[in-house]
Amino acid sequence: MSKNAAQWHEPPKFPTSHYVDSRIYTDHALFEEERQKIFNKTWYIACHESEIPNQYDYRTFQHPGGTPLIIVRGEDMKVRTFYNICPHRGNTLLYDPSGSAKRITCIFHAWSFDAQGNCTDISREEQGYQKRFCKADASLREVKTEVGYGGFVWVNVDDNCEPLAKFVGQAMSELEPYINMPLEVFHYHRAIVDTNFKLWHDTNSEFYHDYMHYFNRVTGMMQPGYFDRKCVGYDNGHVLVGSMEIKYDAYAGSKERGIGWPGLAQGGWILIDLFPGLTYNLRTSVLRMDTMIPLGPTKVMIEYRGLGLKSDTPEQRAQRIYDHNTIWGPFGRNLHEDLLGVHGQGMAMRKGTDSRWVIQGREENSTIHDEVGMRHYYAEWSKRMGRKSFDPYNERRVSAAA
Amino acid sequence: MDRNAIQETIYESCLLLDDKNFNGFLDLCDDGFRYSVTAHSPEIRKDMTWLDHDKKGMQTLFTQLPRHNSDHSPITRHATVYKMRIDESKNEANVVSAVQIYKTDLDGGATTLFAVGKYVDTIKLNGSKPKLAKRVVKLDTRMLGIGYHIPF
Repeated sequence: MSKNAAQWHEPPKFPTSHYVDSRIYTDHALFEEERQKIFNKTWYIACHESEIPNQYDYRTFQHPGGTPLIIVRGEDMKVRTFYNICPHRGNTLLYDPSGSAKRITCIFHAWSFDAQGNCTDISREEQGYQKRFCKADASLREVKTEVGYGGFVWVNVDDNCEPLAKFVGQAMSELEPYINMPLEVFHYHRAIVDTNFKLWHDTNSEFYHDYMHYFNRVTGMMQPGYFDRKCVGYDNGHVLVGSMEIKYDAYAGSKERGIGWPGLAQGGWILIDLFPGLTYNLRTSVLRMDTMIPLGPTKVMIEYRGLGLKSDTPEQRAQRIYDHNTIWGPFGRNLHEDLLGVHGQGMAMRKGTDSRWVIQGREENSTIHDEVGMRHYYAEWSKRMGRKSFDPYNERRVSAAA
Repeated sequence: MDRNAIQETIYESCLLLDDKNFNGFLDLCDDGFRYSVTAHSPEIRKDMTWLDHDKKGMQTLFTQLPRHNSDHSPITRHATVYKMRIDESKNEANVVSAVQIYKTDLDGGATTLFAVGKYVDTIKLNGSKPKLAKRVVKLDTRMLGIGYHIPF
């Protein structure tokens, strides 16, 4: 029997930890609060060290908290991060997404900076500023930076943040042994989707949606061991999805992935979702990294990277690229389906649609179709936001008091 | 070989793919056909190959796609032949065409530009009609939103 309006608005008959109010996916004020309380406080992956292999190499990065950044390798080979904002008139310093710059020179008035953030030249400094202002007053704003967990460059715009290792905790312990060798990015593309960033992270956190993927159904869900995969929650909202043996040859035209990954079992697959929007996805022969950059409450840019081993032969690399793109490239079987799913959620939940609840109620002993991963994520979200994901505006308390 | 026949082969490939007449498209292809989609990433400063199949791989791909969930908005390919070089010693032509791909929403019919790039084709001329031996779709556009399952 279908529901009337009152029934539609009733909270689901689950514990409050098992559903969220769908307005957390569309509210602009909440989104700005997320930027301040979550993204500007947590460590985030900006790029991979292989993207800046040489002295003075740089990458730009749109930080999810809103600030544009530059990641640059200094002449001492140390990786540092700065605001991509000229301290003079606020112009963008580096426009190209990557390059090499021994001196970072603002095109506007030719102020220059070195790779350690020092201002090295102010055009006609003395004539204009006399002794009132000098290069020492014009340094770039540096952002905390660490390189780790597979050679990724992590940044945190909070000067008082905890160390990266404390933020990650034990969440990477199962994956770390497989990514402690030099890696190299071979694939990069972005997708901008009209949906909330948390919905993409949800998709990466739950495997119940394998029903959407023909490839995963035949190579995974119909194979032994699939329903034994365990989801494990870690401190700070991180979640691990354990491994199984994927039977790639069950999909017509596909075959077992011969090159594999050093140490990983044949057909192995380990996935780790890191709060608030990163996913490590080591699937047999390829490491995929998703980085979510929310652009608004209902718009997200997702950066997709594919990585192999730096020691790959050309033949191995070509095979990894093929394996990656079969399912994960812009024409890949699975990625398009995943994006179609969250795009559909974005359409159905946009403001004014009367979408009300999102249920995360499955309990299956923390195995693959248990929605414990999402519940773990929203517990952390609620803690950091000081709001309940099932009642973000505290309406129930107000209602009860009235 | 008539240059018009070569051009028409390229245009016909667009029409057949637009119509999702995949068998018709494969009939235009030589047995040794190779298809790839490439792009250059300024972000990581690398050339990328996003799709790479031989003729059998393309056949399998076309067979499998209906089993997947896909965006069903149709796309329209608009190609213009820019350069054609016929190598008579090899009995083949090398053709570069500009290509634009438009997507039309099923719901409402709005059309938007989806991607731009080039077809870089090698065409065999040793039969009764030109056959596609190799197609590299060199995309300038790298932002494809939610992506697409059908090759361009």
